Amino acid sequence: MDIKTITALAFLMPATAAMAVDSPITGIVEPKCSIWTETSGVYGHPLPYKLTTTPADGGVIASIRVDIAQADYYKTRFTHPNSFSSSPTLTDAVAWTGQTKVGQVSVSGMSAYEAAKVTYNNVTEFNMTLAGSTWFTVESTAQYGSTKSLPAGNYTALIKAECIAK
Amino acid sequence: MCTKLYAHEMTPTYIELKPSYVDGVSVTTMKLFNRREDVEYYTIEVFTFDWEPIPFASEYKTINIGFNKTKFFDVYIRSNDVDKVVYICTQSKLFKGTDQITLITSRICSKIKDR
Repeated sequence: MDIKTITALAFLMPATAAMAVDSPITGIVEPKCSIWTETSGVYGHPLPYKLTTTPADGGVIASIRVDIAQADYYKTRFTHPNSFSSSPTLTDAVAWTGQTKVGQVSVSGMSAYEAAKVTYNNVTEFNMTLAGSTWFTVESTAQYGSTKSLPAGNYTALIKAECIAK
Repeated sequence: MCTKLYAHEMTPTYIELKPSYVDGVSVTTMKLFNRREDVEYYTIEVFTFDWEPIPFASEYKTINIGFNKTKFFDVYIRSNDVDKVVYICTQSKLFKGTDQITLITSRICSKIKDR
């Protein structure tokens, strides 16, 4: 190798090293679980003593989408109401019923969530073993004092949707 | 009836508690992203494995955060309680007296891995 080639290489080498230093690696930490409230749900009032989200009774079923970016990192938990968060004064007991079901799914394997769900009290848990979107529907019915008329006024009940890291 | 799409997101999934500048207190930093237009406030909660609440300190116990905004917050936990901490959660708070009859409150919980 002659002197001219060695000199040229000597100039090129530091330049190459400097370019390597200027190549940053960037990354963004994205959430692995997102709770999307698509439809809040509305109670229909088919009978004087009853409030229900059943569509046949004029209600709207709540729909919640859960996006899982990475499989098997989260479980979801839904709590359907067992009390009103605000209501007129009620002097008799309210009987609450409700359920949470798997609706639409983005991956066919997610249909198995329904059979594997765990239900206790007014809580339903799902183990999110697959990545993708799952829609959950939450139904709720409140029946006042056996068949007593509900007092007039505004009633509010809360559905709780949770994403819990495993 | 809510017809738009609203989301609640929090990172990281797995928490790492580190010693803070205060002796005997550990800290972790969380990031909350509010894509719920119907929610302005989130409360921070810290729990054991059995969902027993654990005392903690933070700049905000209730975070005021706008729609499509991100907020970073530190959670400080006494070193005596560090071994008991499993979940750090944020839960949406809804205004009383809203017109809607049913409402959805969302809670996302990050975890200390392998606890």
